[in-house]
Amino acid sequence: MKKIRNIIFSTLVLIGFTSFSGVANAGCGKLVIAEQNWASAELMANVDKIILEKGYGCEVELIPGATMPTFTSMDEKGEPDMNPEQWANAVYTPLKKAVSEKRLIIANKAPITGLGEGWWITPGTVEKIPEIKGMTAMEILEHPEWFPSKEDPSKGAFVGCPAGWGCQLANANLFRAFEMEKKGWVLIDPGSAAGLDGTISKAADSGSPWFGYYWNPTSMVGKYGLIPVDFGVKFHSRDNWDNCITKAEQDCADPKPTAWTKSEVNSIVTANFAKTGGKDALNYVKKRTYPGDVMNGMLVYMAENQAKGSDAAIEFLSKHENVWGKWVSGAAKKKIKAGL
Amino acid sequence: MDFLTKFPVMDRKSLMELRKGIDQTFREFSRAYGDGIEAFFDPLLFFLIKLEKLLLATPWPIILLVLGGLAWLGSRSWKLVVGSVIAFMLIGYFGMWKDCMATVAIITVCTIMCIAVGIPIGVLMARSNRVERSMLPVLDMMQTIPSFVYLIPILMLLGIGKIPGLIAVCIYAIPPVIRLTNLGIREVDKETIEASEAFGATKLQKLRTVQIPLALPTVFAGVNQTIMMALAMVVIASMIGVKGLGVPILRAISNQYLALGLFNGLAIVALAIIFDRITQEYGRRIQKHRGIKK
Repeated sequence: MKKIRNIIFSTLVLIGFTSFSGVANAGCGKLVIAEQNWASAELMANVDKIILEKGYGCEVELIPGATMPTFTSMDEKGEPDMNPEQWANAVYTPLKKAVSEKRLIIANKAPITGLGEGWWITPGTVEKIPEIKGMTAMEILEHPEWFPSKEDPSKGAFVGCPAGWGCQLANANLFRAFEMEKKGWVLIDPGSAAGLDGTISKAADSGSPWFGYYWNPTSMVGKYGLIPVDFGVKFHSRDNWDNCITKAEQDCADPKPTAWTKSEVNSIVTANFAKTGGKDALNYVKKRTYPGDVMNGMLVYMAENQAKGSDAAIEFLSKHENVWGKWVSGAAKKKIKAGL
Repeated sequence: MDFLTKFPVMDRKSLMELRKGIDQTFREFSRAYGDGIEAFFDPLLFFLIKLEKLLLATPWPIILLVLGGLAWLGSRSWKLVVGSVIAFMLIGYFGMWKDCMATVAIITVCTIMCIAVGIPIGVLMARSNRVERSMLPVLDMMQTIPSFVYLIPILMLLGIGKIPGLIAVCIYAIPPVIRLTNLGIREVDKETIEASEAFGATKLQKLRTVQIPLALPTVFAGVNQTIMMALAMVVIASMIGVKGLGVPILRAISNQYLALGLFNGLAIVALAIIFDRITQEYGRRIQKHRGIKK
């Protein structure tokens, strides 16, 4: 049944392409790309869509996604065909398995340079508490009184990660590993990305101290100048991180204090992408690397103009030709420029 | 021809300026008044935290006892009392006691707030046609506007936590109690009112001794609806940092934890059914007591 459906489908696609004379490239078919629900992923998905469509004649559909659901769907169902920005730490073990079983391919090991997850403070914190400058997390943890929690001012507020994100488990386990409860901290669950950003912009606007989890590259880091905090301990071990810190609380009996693992972002594609998209498309994904500062600049642009991913992609393609020009072949570059 | 096929649209730049302008204005407003508004709600936050702490600190058998007692007072039905106690025991047995108490606390405070604000507004609407005309579209909007839309300004103004969550829940849950208070008072028999007027009742006396008591069953239906709608908002409220049964559901959604989502979802359903049956039974009893047939 599936075979018949595939045949009908590919015939239809073929008819579609032959009637779409000139631009269509026999090497590329219909692809589905995940457009995850944060700014940099939106931008990358939309840039990929335009480049693959205009430059390589693919037919690209974007579908909404988020780290865990998109990965699960790609791993289990082979749909969507590509996730441009897969945060690999959240799915370290299953991704390794899927790659070894050839269901998924890591097409690009570092689509954005200079990124990282970790703990940050706002510049307003340093203004209020000058001695915090240069302190490690271990030292800051001794001073919960600097970050009084709204609901219980006797405790220090540490803003963790929204429920359901991979980093939520890591933050909750680090909270235990650093014995933060004993030291007088509460772990605040901001509930959603909007909630997390809300706490930061509110603290930055009012100048009150803020200490919590965030990641780079983001417009929040660019816009508010968030300052990364060194953990003050070394990365403990791969085993501690993979088999305890990133697991649910009941599976992590004895978390050890550790620095955040080195962040790894991949562009991952399904085996189907390599087949349908063809060599050229795969080559493009391999070469596509956004320099960290360009990405941060785009993110601030998006935040300030409330630009959607599709608007930002056009802005990126028209302003940063020197960046994306290196990712594509000369012929494709001409076609993309003409298509803008 | 182009004009007919392409909808005349504001040009991209002015549209962007407009959006930026709206954002900027609100940001300035929240910078100027945010702290004051926050301080205004502090007593409510204090009450909410105290209630949650009380619910969590009280030994569970006492909570079950109080709950059973309330169920009995409301409904006078043994079946309901036993049913709700069993439901709560199951919730506790499956490890959701803490979240459940947090949810009960916020629903309780929200209901009290909705009644305190909603009934006076409903009374005003019943007395003046002009107020009714101006309030109805507002109520329609409160019930239909997607909650995520008003979460953004609430977040900018008050940050995350219990109070913004409470306000978000109340915006969605308050319309039924207002609507049905208005309706209940307007439906009071004209002749009864005439009679009270003939005896020289003042406006306030008329309201207190005739209109409100006779409207009470309808008002109560509104309160019942308000509680139901508040429970429906538990998950959304969790998106801005309200603890309770909504948090594990959010976690379940993003990770496809089927069982976790199902357990907590069913716990919310159980709470809803218990509250609904008790308040409905209570409403029916006051109706019977007054000899009013539906």
